[in-house]
Amino acid sequence: MTARLLQNFKGGRALLVTGCCGWEGTLETTLAKLGVSSEYPEIVNGRAQIDVDGLRPERDILLVDGDLEDAVAIEVDPASRLPPVPVIGLVGVEAPSRLKALVNLGATSFLRKPVHGGAVYTSLFMGINQFLLRSDMYARLQDLEMRRRGRRAVIRAVILLMQRNGLDEESAYSQLRRESMRVRQNLELYCEEFLSRWAKPPDIPGHTNQHHAARRP
Amino acid sequence: MAGTHCRVGVMFSATGSYSVVARSMLNGALLAFREIAESGGAVTLEPVVVNPSGDLARYRALSLELLGAGIRHVVGCYTSSSRKEVIPCFEKFDGLLWYPSHYEGFESSDNVIYTGAAPNQHVLPLVEYLASRVGTRAFCVGSNYIWAWENNRIFREALSAHGGNVIAERYLSIGDTEFDQVISAILDQRPDFVFNNLIGTSTYAFFRAFRAACRARGLDQANDIPVASCTLSEPELAEIGADAVDGHLTSSVYFSSLGSPANAAFIAAYAKAFPDGPVSSADAEASYIAVKLLAAALEQAGTDDARTVRSAVANRRLLAPQGEVRIDPQTYHAWLTPRIGRSAANGQFDVLLEAPGPIAPDPYLVQSSPRFASAMRSPVLRVVQS
Repeated sequence: MTARLLQNFKGGRALLVTGCCGWEGTLETTLAKLGVSSEYPEIVNGRAQIDVDGLRPERDILLVDGDLEDAVAIEVDPASRLPPVPVIGLVGVEAPSRLKALVNLGATSFLRKPVHGGAVYTSLFMGINQFLLRSDMYARLQDLEMRRRGRRAVIRAVILLMQRNGLDEESAYSQLRRESMRVRQNLELYCEEFLSRWAKPPDIPGHTNQHHAARRP
Repeated sequence: MAGTHCRVGVMFSATGSYSVVARSMLNGALLAFREIAESGGAVTLEPVVVNPSGDLARYRALSLELLGAGIRHVVGCYTSSSRKEVIPCFEKFDGLLWYPSHYEGFESSDNVIYTGAAPNQHVLPLVEYLASRVGTRAFCVGSNYIWAWENNRIFREALSAHGGNVIAERYLSIGDTEFDQVISAILDQRPDFVFNNLIGTSTYAFFRAFRAACRARGLDQANDIPVASCTLSEPELAEIGADAVDGHLTSSVYFSSLGSPANAAFIAAYAKAFPDGPVSSADAEASYIAVKLLAAALEQAGTDDARTVRSAVANRRLLAPQGEVRIDPQTYHAWLTPRIGRSAANGQFDVLLEAPGPIAPDPYLVQSSPRFASAMRSPVLRVVQS
């Protein structure tokens, strides 16, 4: 699988969380050349006033000044460690504590202060695409995790078919796989549904106690 | 700055593998200096001409030398690799490089004024033309550096959007003239056209060898497998030679065959000033434009300070040989008029198509490229032995 890279940032909105230091002009004009508008959320009592629910990952980018202490309160997904939108760290003081704070916010790229116009496209390209790649990777991990959990259902379904229909292991597995492909479901999900269908109260003529025993090992 | 004198660096590789175009650029710049001197304006300019001979290290050393001597403005560079090499010097000294050549975009340094065409003014109109009138299967050749890599990437994505595809890309070192393998691959693949991003002596050798190889196979190269470029200009047609000069497509914002009075005056003045050639080119015109705009901006700014001159050149208009040109205040690139030409046996280009007027530069293709890059396809594997 090959991820598609975002290369045109037109229509994007950058939220610049920073105190006014004089270098934002370069950042803002360079972002404008790239088709990205800039907004400066107000900072009240040290906190940037950001409508977190209104953030949209396909549009918004958060640029956070690492020299501000705890200025951004966004929820980073504990499992994926991804913020709701791409975060780019603005690095002034190059100290581990400042960088760690930005990493903990989920920053996927950095820009040194004062911002140099020639570095902005690279930082945006890396920050947004790393965010997309990590989001994609996390989705794939979740899928794999779900399928790993589903392997137990596959084993149980194979055993059930072997006991019920007198098949050997390979034939039972092939039958399940074929049926899952026919109904366009992944094997794990199909087996779970197969087992739950089989676990329903026996109203099918010919169902035996032996079958019940088999489906509740 | 009334009545004051300003020294301006002029940095082109008058020797080396791409010297033919670079000398025409030098001539274009020198013609503008001469006209400014003759006009008796408030600003007098003194060109300080240096020659890096196509050597990247020399570009950097000469830039530092010029800037270190107090010169704030340099008109120069042809290749993108040389421009990228010297930009850090201009940033360090806060000077302005007036870059007068078409290039691949994706750059907008605060220390560069770009008077040549951006990719939306050269490669995108060419793709449009090729896809609608020539075909959709392309074979790309280019010199092995950033210009060809990036221009081919833009070309590939734009052609894909038109339902076409690039069947192969081949890169050769700058100055390389051994094309047997590449030409053999092109003839085997039989594309609808070749997209050429070779520069300098490589491109002249390629055109000659490709025409000869097609003839040997009974093919009419110009019609059967035309070559399309964004670089090919009149002085290069003279280098290719009479046997292979005609039938090549080029996308450019300027051709010396344009019929406007402004161009007629430019061509006459150029020919009179430089009777030994090389003849004028799109990049010569861009160099001429750069010096004219620099002089006007210096006069308005009243100082040679880079920031002030840069502000003064924003939105400035000029009736150039190609038509009206103006500097975009956001990107500091120029509004230019795209055209498609086909080379003729007389060493000129017949203009086949032209935009109705100058179009805005879009160096990052913000207005004219898809949001996502086309997905890189995995190599197609085939069984070669069972």
